[in-house]
Amino acid sequence: MENHYAIETQSLGRIYKVRHAGKKETKTLTALEGVDLQIRKGELFGLLGPNGAGKTTLIKILTTLLAPSHGQASVAGFDVSKEPEEVRQRINMVSGGESSGYGLLTVRENLWMFAQFYGIPGKEANARIKTLLEIVGMADRENTRTHSLSTGLRQKMNIVRGFLTDPQILFLDEPTLGLDVGASRDVRNFIHRWMGDDTQRTLLLTTHYMVEADELCDRVAIINKGKVLACGTPASLKQSLQKEAIFRMDLDCPRTLDEIPFRGMAGVKSVKVHDNETKTVMDLVLAEESVLAGVIAAVTSQGAQIATLQKREPTLEDVFVQLVGQRMEEVEHADAPSGE
Amino acid sequence: MENSTPVMQKNWRSFRMAAWLGWKIESNWTDPFLFAIYSIVKPLAAAMILVVMYGVISRNQFDSPVFAYLFIGNAFYQYVSNVMVGVSWAIVDDREHYRTLKYLYVSPISIPFYLLGRGVARVLITTFSVVVILAVGVAFLHIPFNPAVIDWPLFITSLLIGILMLAMLGLLLAGFTLRMAQYSFNIGDSVAGALYLFSGAIFPISVLPAFLRPLGYIMPISYWLELIRRAMVGGVAADFPMFPGFSNLQLLLILIGMTIIFGFISVWGWKKFDWQARERGLIDQTNNY
Amino acid sequence: MPMLPPVSKRHTGWRLFLMTVFGRSYPRVIGAQRETSWVFFDTFLPMLSVAAYVFVYRAIKAPEDYVGFVVVGGAMMAFWMNVLWSMSSQLYWEKETGNLALYIISPGSMMAILLGMAVGGLFATTLRALGIIILGSLLFSVHFVVASFWQLILVFLLTMVALYGLGMMTASLYLLLSREAWHFSNLAQEPIFLVSGFYFPIKNFPAWVPVIGSIIPLTMGMDAMRQLSFASGPSLGWVSVKIEILVLAGLAVVFLIAARYLLSYMEKLAVREGRLTESRG
Repeated sequence: MENHYAIETQSLGRIYKVRHAGKKETKTLTALEGVDLQIRKGELFGLLGPNGAGKTTLIKILTTLLAPSHGQASVAGFDVSKEPEEVRQRINMVSGGESSGYGLLTVRENLWMFAQFYGIPGKEANARIKTLLEIVGMADRENTRTHSLSTGLRQKMNIVRGFLTDPQILFLDEPTLGLDVGASRDVRNFIHRWMGDDTQRTLLLTTHYMVEADELCDRVAIINKGKVLACGTPASLKQSLQKEAIFRMDLDCPRTLDEIPFRGMAGVKSVKVHDNETKTVMDLVLAEESVLAGVIAAVTSQGAQIATLQKREPTLEDVFVQLVGQRMEEVEHADAPSGE
Repeated sequence: MENSTPVMQKNWRSFRMAAWLGWKIESNWTDPFLFAIYSIVKPLAAAMILVVMYGVISRNQFDSPVFAYLFIGNAFYQYVSNVMVGVSWAIVDDREHYRTLKYLYVSPISIPFYLLGRGVARVLITTFSVVVILAVGVAFLHIPFNPAVIDWPLFITSLLIGILMLAMLGLLLAGFTLRMAQYSFNIGDSVAGALYLFSGAIFPISVLPAFLRPLGYIMPISYWLELIRRAMVGGVAADFPMFPGFSNLQLLLILIGMTIIFGFISVWGWKKFDWQARERGLIDQTNNY
Repeated sequence: MPMLPPVSKRHTGWRLFLMTVFGRSYPRVIGAQRETSWVFFDTFLPMLSVAAYVFVYRAIKAPEDYVGFVVVGGAMMAFWMNVLWSMSSQLYWEKETGNLALYIISPGSMMAILLGMAVGGLFATTLRALGIIILGSLLFSVHFVVASFWQLILVFLLTMVALYGLGMMTASLYLLLSREAWHFSNLAQEPIFLVSGFYFPIKNFPAWVPVIGSIIPLTMGMDAMRQLSFASGPSLGWVSVKIEILVLAGLAVVFLIAARYLLSYMEKLAVREGRLTESRG
């Protein structure tokens, strides 16, 4: 029976043994636990979660770099632990924030070298490199040695390396990390077009940028502390919040606004207060609109003034807050630094 | 408050912090295996190469002053390859491996004093390995050792001035390393290898071709090593001398004078290289090779 | 029209193997020669160390052939340093820069990657070693008396195959190491310079030293090369060149086969323990 999943995992888990400096005993760190995912061929699938959530660990397992501690995973129908060679013929990976290749070689030479490892004849490899560099706007850097490239350009080259070998399944681990807004947009556009060119191509993208996941992905899994908390299309995930009324208030506060009184209020499903550059921002998920009046009264009773009040559509960020109880940034701050 | 911190205080703080950091980094040395590698096995093996070379040719006549000359010179040369290179290696380590050099640069410390501080741990550790090499020489290879004969004031003065001189040379080398981002891994060892040739460590400068001798004469290391030899084994050193025309006092004055001159050259060189490195954006340039 | 057509042809099997070897050797064959400063750092500066030992021999009035021994030893040292720092510990560097992960996930075999590193390293180092030999011979008027040119070439080639085989084997051992890799390579410098006889004939040691030292192919390789290229060589040689050729051939085969098996074992182990990507603190 032909497997129509590009990627499939069953109760996948990974435990790291961590030894602290100077101490003999090892502690275990659960990086991934009970992950069940089915990603169809042709899907652009996003893993959304804060740093340290286990996204990179999952990618490492799927790309045959790390063996799972328990459970199973298959990529392109092949078991990642038992048939890594088969898997490797069909995949490629790009990790954001990492350089690849050798500084003394030019952009073209580095890319050509990697194409060699995939058995792509030199002539074809060079033609593809030329096309790809033109697409990402780096045609003029073809003969620049990579040690003199900026971080952004190096990352673009890294992305080109991933697409160059035309993998059936491509893993992009935070591909826009460290890129500026414009370059990130170019990369997203490129990903879109690449997927559109061939309906059999599958792409697994990890990101901690909500917008990126929302804009690009057919389906998204939200992952935190090694567990998949929810999985679905961005629309369906957001729809789970459709019944609720979501508001954002910009406040002028004389002092830090106390969140606690709001949490206990009937009908308040979640409340998050954070400081913007100039204002205090309050994000509210309410069971129904009528709860708002009570909230406003409580705000003003703390001496704060409402500058703007806005009802808005739910975002993936709201979904995350609903699931985890914290904003993604807060999770990252609370957990940093941890081995992912 | 912060702005008014006197310069001396800042320098002392940088030095002290770096000495502590250096010790922490080198605290690998508390691992007996690593300690054995760096402080015993490597230097001893290098010394044994010379011992075997000498033994093969002289048919194991280890009681000759020629052997004492090269053995003691080589033992104390450890300070050159560890202290001088150690100070400059901090640049490579912090830039390439720990990738912290750029953060040091943006913090309110004095980089030269920081680098010198990083050398402190090296001085202590090198002293241990020099003692080990000398002990092996005394125990098995007829190296003369008599505490009553050693000219202790001369020995200690020369040793301290020498270490200061090597640290300053290290600073110059650190500047060069900073500037030469590309080959920074090899620079230290290469320079130590080159100076081994010119500084009369294992053979008198007079053995060099005439046109190369001036290089040995302008190196403070040459005078320092000879002073150490004379202080340690006076009579034996006199039988196979370098700089026979100079008295101990004259040599010491030359060493002090040269240390001052090289100190100025190092500070000037460091400033120049540091400026060039910043101008070319080399502070955080790393090599993937 | 698609912006990027699919790849029309992909080689597999032995062609992929050769392409991978070629690809990985490229940075060393071409890249490493790009900055001409290598002439200074990799040939001129090692030459100074060679000179230091030459002058020691001159200072103690050694026969002139010993000067030649030092020059040959200095040139061969370039290969040892290359194997230590750019073969054995290379996978550690590749891990730190993220390249190792990319090699592992590619369909090209890791054995081919290692072979590519070896071929490239051998090429680049041969240029440097030739520089040292030529410069050293000219500066110190070394007088070579080559007994058998073809035997000399054979010994050199066998030494190199065995040496780089050893490098490939140790590279896979290093796969499990993190910063210790650095220390192991350091440990294998001076002690090997000593027991392999880079600067003197190993005949002068008690027999057990060169016997143990022969695990490093350069020990017998240099001994044989000196016997074949200096007038006093045969009288200062340890065992006969023929025996040395046989042992070197044996070492070459053993190391290459061991590299092959060790690599696949270590790769599996590293995947299990999660050591293929950057070290964690």
